[in-house]
Amino acid sequence: MDNRRKYVIPGDVVTSGPFRPEQNVILEGNKIISTTVGISEIYDDSVRVISLTGKYIPKIDDLVIGKVISHTSLSWELDINSCYVGFLPAQDVFGRDFSAHADELSSKLKTGDLVAARIANFDRTRDPLITISDRDLGKIDSGALVKISPSKVPRLIGKRGSMIQMIEQATDAAITIGQNGWVVVSCESPEGLLKAKKAIQMVDEKAHIANLTDQVKDMLESKGES
Amino acid sequence: MGGRDTTMVLLDENGIRCDGRKIDETRKIMIKAGVLKNADGSAYIEFGDNKILVGVFGPRDVHPKHMSDTDTGILRVRYHMEPFSVTERKNPAPSRREIEISKVIKEALEPAVMLEQFPRTAVDVFIEVLQADGGTRCAALSAASVALADAGIPMRDMVAACASGKVADTIVLDVNNEEDQAGQADMPIGYMPSLEKITLLQLDGVLTPEEYKKCVEVGVNGCKIVYEVQKKALNDKYFGSGKD
Amino acid sequence: MASRTVIDELKRSQILELLEQGKRVDGRALDEPREISIEINAIPKANGSARVFLGDTEVLCGVKIQPDRPFPDMGDKGIFICTAELLPLSHPTVETGPPQPHVIELARVTDRGIRESHMIDVSQLVIEKDKSVVGVFADIVVIDYDGNLFDACSYAATAALLTSKTPKWVMENDKPTLVDAEATSLPTTTIPVSVTMGKIGNHIIVDPNGDEWASMDARITITTNSDGNICALQKGGSDGFTQDEIVQCGELSVRVGAKIREKLKEAQQESQ
Repeated sequence: MDNRRKYVIPGDVVTSGPFRPEQNVILEGNKIISTTVGISEIYDDSVRVISLTGKYIPKIDDLVIGKVISHTSLSWELDINSCYVGFLPAQDVFGRDFSAHADELSSKLKTGDLVAARIANFDRTRDPLITISDRDLGKIDSGALVKISPSKVPRLIGKRGSMIQMIEQATDAAITIGQNGWVVVSCESPEGLLKAKKAIQMVDEKAHIANLTDQVKDMLESKGES
Repeated sequence: MGGRDTTMVLLDENGIRCDGRKIDETRKIMIKAGVLKNADGSAYIEFGDNKILVGVFGPRDVHPKHMSDTDTGILRVRYHMEPFSVTERKNPAPSRREIEISKVIKEALEPAVMLEQFPRTAVDVFIEVLQADGGTRCAALSAASVALADAGIPMRDMVAACASGKVADTIVLDVNNEEDQAGQADMPIGYMPSLEKITLLQLDGVLTPEEYKKCVEVGVNGCKIVYEVQKKALNDKYFGSGKD
Repeated sequence: MASRTVIDELKRSQILELLEQGKRVDGRALDEPREISIEINAIPKANGSARVFLGDTEVLCGVKIQPDRPFPDMGDKGIFICTAELLPLSHPTVETGPPQPHVIELARVTDRGIRESHMIDVSQLVIEKDKSVVGVFADIVVIDYDGNLFDACSYAATAALLTSKTPKWVMENDKPTLVDAEATSLPTTTIPVSVTMGKIGNHIIVDPNGDEWASMDARITITTNSDGNICALQKGGSDGFTQDEIVQCGELSVRVGAKIREKLKEAQQESQ
């Protein structure tokens, strides 16, 4: 760990001086204090802490995996592993000629269904608005859902996608990573599926370890373990 | 049960207390972070013979909706003792004492938690006392702080708590059950170590102004000792040893 | 708020698909319970206690034994009370406040399983007939939820009662007075063991975990005693069992129960 990065907990002073406080830090007097458990990073003119825990905070355009938990005649409600429930309006799926009388929501998506979705809009005065109307979005028909901490998603993706590609290539699995920490894994072979799931769980549990990439590589290359 | 042991010596001529401790010594403290599978954050504390478990959920939707706040998230705390946690079996229904302690702990945590970023949500802190032995509210508050950090709830500071008191005319740190019953004063304190602010303070008993000042000083030092244990709990879970 | 009890469709389909092949997601056989771990004396200040892990379900039972007044027409019998509470920290959907029907059912089924087996010989718990008897309170709290609370609570209460140390009181000046804080074990006659089975489609599975519990159509909890006889039973859920299935469940509960009874005996020996 180089000396511009430090493990911190809430209340820890990251540094003092003329820095701009960014994520997960606050300014108290001239001290920059962490508000979460995480790793602090000091840049030339700003300071932030990468949180190692906590729920997903929606960001516009993020790809997320959601689970339908209920619906009215006009919209679905989705669990997106956040403090807020995602709101998917019927028009997003049925189009502009949607009619609450004629069109039945559960014919397209019912409670328990998983979707790959995007955050269309979010501000703190209302629940996040979800869309599934792009080509790579929509109901997920097959695969297994693996849940990791949202803070580990960057590690699972890796530098320029290196970690996730390594896992996909070694197992022949197709993996969709939601920024909200929910990950869908599809694989023809049950062994590949199991290995891919194990690799993802390893990243979740050991994200702070320096040689994680090597450890995951070793596990993927080993034969016959489960 | 039985009666109070009137032959028990609270403080002997060598400055040793009834359980072998010195006057500025806390009981043995252990905290573990992240002990539950379903809660968003959790912590378990053993403080002397106290055994307390805390689970945190949130920020999450508030039901009923009229209880939510459009400008900020709200904090809810429930302190509850199991029937088997005390000497004489306690009725499972919440007592007035539990309701008061729930409120006092909530108000001790509120200065630390930052919920303005989560309007219309609630953060729920559930405290369960599995075994009680004097000083449960301080142990509970200390564990709750760790559980909130474990859940990723943004906080300005941790809150560490410890009680000081007066026993055999002497100001001591961390009053145990016998000292609480037979002693002269008991002062639980909750403290934010970085911001140096006291967020929980109560007093049972009679103190002169000098004793009062000393009691606060001794208690705050106790809180700093507890803070080190809180740090260790979070370090152990999140920062590991870097190697495997 | 209901989100966590909504099982995702992919998982539900996977559970069903595997069952058609006689398999379960976690690799267990259909009649195989999860690993049970029992920690006795978890709460040293109580007269007896046991913490039980059934997979990720975690349950704690504390036993308090103290003098009490007998029930009006039962002056020659001690008192046995068993309660169960779902702690709000065990699952995001648990509400605080007065207990919901499913929690009341859990408490009453657990109580009946022990009471109907006559596990505690209450006739030996009298201090003075009609005046003062020994009250045994087994209070169970659920700490973490991953399906099948019925069995976890049953094992925790049974283990706690089997390993409790009961004090001895005598009447002095018309009041029960303590003479020995840890005199003996509780007078027990049998070891009741409950086994819960779930029905998914046409398949009967023993000890459903959290995901299986959310996919079940119906369930049945059957308690057997040390003689291999059935002493308590509860069917729940919104579907029905065929007669054959009910008989099959009876057989399973005796067979699987016998193995689990060995674990409880081990815990009892550990305490002596």
